[in-house]
Amino acid sequence: MDDVLNLTKQQLDALRELGNIGSGNAATALAQFLNRKIDMDVPSAKILPLEQVSNLVGGPEQQVMGIFLKVMGQLSGRFILLVPTTTAIKLLQALMPGFEINFVNGKFGEMETSCMREVGNILAGAFLNALSVLTRVPMLNSLPSMAIDMAGALLDSVISDMAAVSDHVLMIETAFVECQENLRIHIFLLPDPASLDRLLEILGVK
Amino acid sequence: MPEVYPVGMADIRIAKAPDVLAVYGVGSCVIVAMYDPKSTIGGLAHVILPDSSGVAPERLNPKKFADTAVPLLFQTLSHAGIFKGSLWAKVIGGAEMFPPTEDFSLNIGKKNTAAVHDALKKLGVPVLAEDTGGTVGRSLEMRLDSGKIALTVLGESVREL
Repeated sequence: MDDVLNLTKQQLDALRELGNIGSGNAATALAQFLNRKIDMDVPSAKILPLEQVSNLVGGPEQQVMGIFLKVMGQLSGRFILLVPTTTAIKLLQALMPGFEINFVNGKFGEMETSCMREVGNILAGAFLNALSVLTRVPMLNSLPSMAIDMAGALLDSVISDMAAVSDHVLMIETAFVECQENLRIHIFLLPDPASLDRLLEILGVK
Repeated sequence: MPEVYPVGMADIRIAKAPDVLAVYGVGSCVIVAMYDPKSTIGGLAHVILPDSSGVAPERLNPKKFADTAVPLLFQTLSHAGIFKGSLWAKVIGGAEMFPPTEDFSLNIGKKNTAAVHDALKKLGVPVLAEDTGGTVGRSLEMRLDSGKIALTVLGESVREL
């Protein structure tokens, strides 16, 4: 695949279905460990021009928590979870009942950071598990890294080296919604351009 | 009223006083600002990667890479009638947003910053000010009546560069 712009509608549909299967499993995992009802947005497979990427999730200067993981194995790519900080605080309160959340000057404490990285780990793990079963290609996620900053700044550092050739990036996107307090977690999967051909082949839409 | 023009990823834009050029939410990207106080013309290049080698020439977008975008900004400004002798540059961005883990580290920000400095040195454009590196995202607005840059980091007050 020279340029993600050349993806056909059928190929994008197949990638969206992949997102559907992965995020379905991830939503189940999230519901289990939060012990709350989780809804899921209909996933999309989007081809975005570079200049629009920083506008995802409330604008480039919106303060968000980003959890970043690499997908490793025969198929590689990246995951990024974006959570508005107010949502992250509520999630932590649900995960650590009775624990006072330490959030000072835009930074979480060690316990909180570790807990949110684990959330990323579980979501990405569940997502990839479903994909591995479907494609029969084992995929693993790296340890997650977490940062809190402007959404645009977090996104540019994740996508820049995926855009050496194309001026567009392919993103499989969905959001999990916790129904009780309407908490939204955005999750993006970015297949490496080099893995895309293989992935389409496995999906039977090459 | 001065217009504010945003400069997106992998874009180059020039303008003249009293207008303002802006970039919001810069992480590992590096923003090269060039300004000539005599003509009050200046421009920004929003560099996302250090090096264009390895990309086929017919597929190359020169606005993306430090080694091609910096000369292109210089050229664009030259055509617009600046005085090259009074042109200076400021360099902003190049952060490492995500802390490294045992599995990976992202150091594209440092590479971008170094490549931008190399390109500016080749052109002989002096770097008047710099705010690069670290682990924080930045936003900036450059006023073309003065060449001054207002720099924003989340949780801090606006600084002038």
